[in-house]
Amino acid sequence: MKETRKWILHRLTAIILAPLYVWLYFSLVSLSTKSYSEATYFFENPLFKILTVMIFFVGFFHAKISLGEIFEDYIHKQKTKYVANILTSISSIVIPLIILILLIFKI
Amino acid sequence: MNDSNNPLSPHLQIYRWHISSLLSITHRIAGVINLLALILIFFWLVVLSLGESNYELFLSIINSFFGKSILIGFTWSMSFHLLSGIRHLVWDLGYGFEIKTANISGTIVIITSLVVTVIFWLFARGFI
Repeated sequence: MKETRKWILHRLTAIILAPLYVWLYFSLVSLSTKSYSEATYFFENPLFKILTVMIFFVGFFHAKISLGEIFEDYIHKQKTKYVANILTSISSIVIPLIILILLIFKI
Repeated sequence: MNDSNNPLSPHLQIYRWHISSLLSITHRIAGVINLLALILIFFWLVVLSLGESNYELFLSIINSFFGKSILIGFTWSMSFHLLSGIRHLVWDLGYGFEIKTANISGTIVIITSLVVTVIFWLFARGFI
């Protein structure tokens, strides 16, 4: 990815993520005092499903760019850095995909 | 891939501490903690999909002293990273670079993040 593009996407994902993440985290902390059925009822809402999946894709993408910067600063060996970036990229796709599948079929 | 000429950032112990550097590194650390929080949310949803008894066991861990401490820590790292992120966006727009302004905005970020954490927690846990 080109550095300018990365810079812009990093800011853009941050702006999208800020309100969404606060909403999801607030909802989960609220649900932590409530029952199982209230939690499943919450995630039955199709809009909440979409927002949650979005948070995972956008959030992990934001994290992938940031971790890349941190690796750039502190990992000396090019090979290690390369592997670290690949592993981050894979997780940033696989974890949101699992959430997508869970929210469609299981919750 | 030649490692010998690969420049690294100087390690943290080298710098003298200022508000600016303290906030810069805390922003990064809070970001990484937020990633851990998102991973916890991932497991939260996985456990929710595993049925009632598993979910209730999970909630009992979340509602223990240890669990609540972690959640409060995550609340703070979210608040801090968000407020500090806004400070970064203002810099990106070209404002607030004077040392005095940056110190004031940094102090505001630290204090506000603590206040937001308390308010968020009281609201979310149903105390207010």
